Amino acid sequence: MSETETDAAVEESIPDIPTRIRTGLSAGFWTSVKIIKVSVPLYVAVTLLKETPFLDLLGKVFAPVMGIFGLPGEAAFAFVAAFLLNIYAAIAVIVPLNLTPFQVTQCGLMMGVAHNLVVEGGVLSTTGARGGVLTLCRLVIACAAGLLLRGLWGLWETAASWAMTLPGLS
Amino acid sequence: MEILLSSLLGALKLSAKLILIIVPLVTLFEVLRHLPVFRRAGNVVEPMMRGVGLTRDAAIPLFTGIFLGIAYGAGIIIRVAQQKGLPARELFLMGLFLATCHSVIEDVLIFVVIGGNGPAILGVRLGLAVLLTGLMARVWKPA
Repeated sequence: MSETETDAAVEESIPDIPTRIRTGLSAGFWTSVKIIKVSVPLYVAVTLLKETPFLDLLGKVFAPVMGIFGLPGEAAFAFVAAFLLNIYAAIAVIVPLNLTPFQVTQCGLMMGVAHNLVVEGGVLSTTGARGGVLTLCRLVIACAAGLLLRGLWGLWETAASWAMTLPGLS
Repeated sequence: MEILLSSLLGALKLSAKLILIIVPLVTLFEVLRHLPVFRRAGNVVEPMMRGVGLTRDAAIPLFTGIFLGIAYGAGIIIRVAQQKGLPARELFLMGLFLATCHSVIEDVLIFVVIGGNGPAILGVRLGLAVLLTGLMARVWKPA
């Protein structure tokens, strides 16, 4: 098979603009339904759990691990939501926890790498790549990225506070 | 009871924010992705892709994954990978790149909405993806 034939077979016929807008809106709609179904119950659950000793207890258990990445122990709950479900679930857990900007960034980075592992692992393995190996890679990469960001952020803050002490810059 | 109501309101506000980002983004992507500019983009990115051990054949699934995500772009990724008959080495490298760096626009935007630093998230993910994939491409030499 020649190069052009392969390309033609791969690319679908081009739909007109109104059809594309419709496709986009309907995809957006179904994503929205998914977001509400996952976020609302989780957000409410976490807010209610904050009133009980359970979340504190969970936080204390995971504090040593999460601390490595500069995160509070409670964030572990958000990671479970991200790994098993998706980013929206994780967001719904993160917001009621009132994290600092650095912690939100850290969650965004690490969860951006490793989320929805069950579904996406399946997709990656259907392409013929080793799904299990790649899922493991994602967890390792997420940790590496977390350590990297923590280091960089620390350097940045040190540099910023050092720059503030320079004459004429404050 | 009061806390239940206020948390429900908070949850709906958050959902509304996320939906306001996602719906226009997905719609815009659907409209733009058939433009000729994007179809020709393969030529421009080819040298960059060679740096991480990938060929043109992997361009469509790679960029679909980077912009759309693995789950939403699954249909395109699987179809192209099978039709082009990508070799195992390229599938692995593409998978490694996408594992680190996928669905970037959506992921970064929704974390910026709740107070994260967008450039930091994007920078670390992109940098790490290029670094790791480039490294593995040199370790696993083409047959």
